[in-house]
Amino acid sequence: MTGRASRLAALDLWVGTGLCVLVVLAAAAGPALWPADPIAGLLAATLRPPGTAVAGVLHPLGTDQLGRDLLARILAGTRVSLSIVLVAGTIAAVLGTALGVVAGYFRGVLDAVIMRLVDVQLAIPFILLILLIVSVIGPSIFNLIVVLGVTGWGIFARVARARTLEVRELEYIEAARALGLPVWRIIAIHVLPNILASQIVLLTLELPRLVVLEASVGFLGLGVQPPTPTLGNLIGEGRSLLLVADWLVLYPGLVIAALVVGFNFIGDGLLRRTRARLQ
Amino acid sequence: MTLAAFLLRRLGLAGLVLLGVSAIVFFSLFLTGDPAALMLPADASRAEIDAFRAAMGFDDPWIVQYLRYLGAVATGDFGTSLRFHRPVIDLVAERLPATALLAVASLAWSTLAGFILGIVAAVRRDGLIDFLVRAVALSGQAVPVFWLGLLLILMVSLKWRLLPTGGYGGVTHLVLPAVALGAYYMSAVTRLVRASLIEALDQDYVRTARAKGLSEWRVVMRHALRNALLPVITVQATYFASLLGGALVTEIIFAWPGIGRLAVQAIQNRDFPLVQAIVLLAAAVFVLANVLVDIAYALLNPRIRL
Repeated sequence: MTGRASRLAALDLWVGTGLCVLVVLAAAAGPALWPADPIAGLLAATLRPPGTAVAGVLHPLGTDQLGRDLLARILAGTRVSLSIVLVAGTIAAVLGTALGVVAGYFRGVLDAVIMRLVDVQLAIPFILLILLIVSVIGPSIFNLIVVLGVTGWGIFARVARARTLEVRELEYIEAARALGLPVWRIIAIHVLPNILASQIVLLTLELPRLVVLEASVGFLGLGVQPPTPTLGNLIGEGRSLLLVADWLVLYPGLVIAALVVGFNFIGDGLLRRTRARLQ
Repeated sequence: MTLAAFLLRRLGLAGLVLLGVSAIVFFSLFLTGDPAALMLPADASRAEIDAFRAAMGFDDPWIVQYLRYLGAVATGDFGTSLRFHRPVIDLVAERLPATALLAVASLAWSTLAGFILGIVAAVRRDGLIDFLVRAVALSGQAVPVFWLGLLLILMVSLKWRLLPTGGYGGVTHLVLPAVALGAYYMSAVTRLVRASLIEALDQDYVRTARAKGLSEWRVVMRHALRNALLPVITVQATYFASLLGGALVTEIIFAWPGIGRLAVQAIQNRDFPLVQAIVLLAAAVFVLANVLVDIAYALLNPRIRL
């Protein structure tokens, strides 16, 4: 049973990592991989279906309404979306973990205040909150990162607090306290390493949610503004051309699906592995 | 603690959360410093902005403004729409039935389908059916609701011409948006039911029930599923929030005249009183759903009673 479970966990991890690495590498390599310009188009080559060549230039995924190469736009869009999501996810994880550890370690009023803030934050549908704030401060890449990061910390705080509550009662931490170690050292050396694993698993499970969230905001036209492509605004722009050029919607969506599946597999694999180890 | 005390405490917390939401909603307009400039068109003159600011009371101290806002909200006055020049509460009330219909329809089919798929997969665990169910559940969680919606429109409406592309009308108009919105939720319920049922099936009391010679059907439905219900109910409240968020995008795609579409239009029009009211409403629904879940949980599971 355990052998089977760990084999399954390994499979999940391989598939997930494979998908994510593929997308991340493609996005990172971008122009080196496919040198077509994602912003400038050729008006003589609008809305060509995938696989057509115009004036000797091949468009593997076709072109859009301005004659821009879709593959180049997807690569560039993936880079923008992925950067936003990864940085925002990291901000949310660091912020939430810090607040959760503080709440769980010190308890008392601080704990109550932080946890009520988590309740408040989790009560507002993320997308509404994000749309509200972005509509006030404007839709730049920087603003989106900050908003996604600052609105996503709640769940990290909740989990970090629960784990800290368990860890702080362990004997060696009591020993460290008895030895008179300063609080920040106890937290940094003894508490944090203990809760890190569960926070990383949580991050891999939160990333797909952020991918979809960022794409939704882009799709609604309230995210990063054109001509800069993102996975969401590519689909949003392609929407009105659905009947004549469905590839504009199909391919960016596939990249989103690959990312979501990839991160979810990594998260599930890590979860299975920790569970298998506990048994 | 008695049930009454538990309820009171729970409602108190819910009120506190809503107070926090109202503060976020209110003060988010001050992020740029001048809500008057934010609410007026970009070409408004300095004098117009100043007059508007005075009329709205933006010159008062923040805390005074916030308390005034709370007082108004408490008496049911959510302000006047900047765009439609009508009370915000009326606009929201008009759109509420459409969103409620969509949400209930999505929740109903996805919960039912999720339970059936989850039970089948758990009973036939590690078989072909289990594999197929997991593949369905995985794809349901992988595709964003707006992409799934567009694919449905492309195939079912544009290519096969079976159902309308959007709008509000009979059952035919409801099918596609409900399918798109419920897909993610169905996957989540499937996974949850499968996981918690598999766990329950490994328990001693299930072995006892089997040893008594009960049919497998009775063992699953009467003994195992009952205990697998609790975690599903708990997580349902969390998914309720993503359902509300998803409704926003779904309504845009299918031109569904509900709150979600109203919200996006309000944001595009910079109609902030309307946006504030919708965020507050969504949070209130979420908080209320959570309270109900807590009560259901306490009633269903005497062990955690308080």
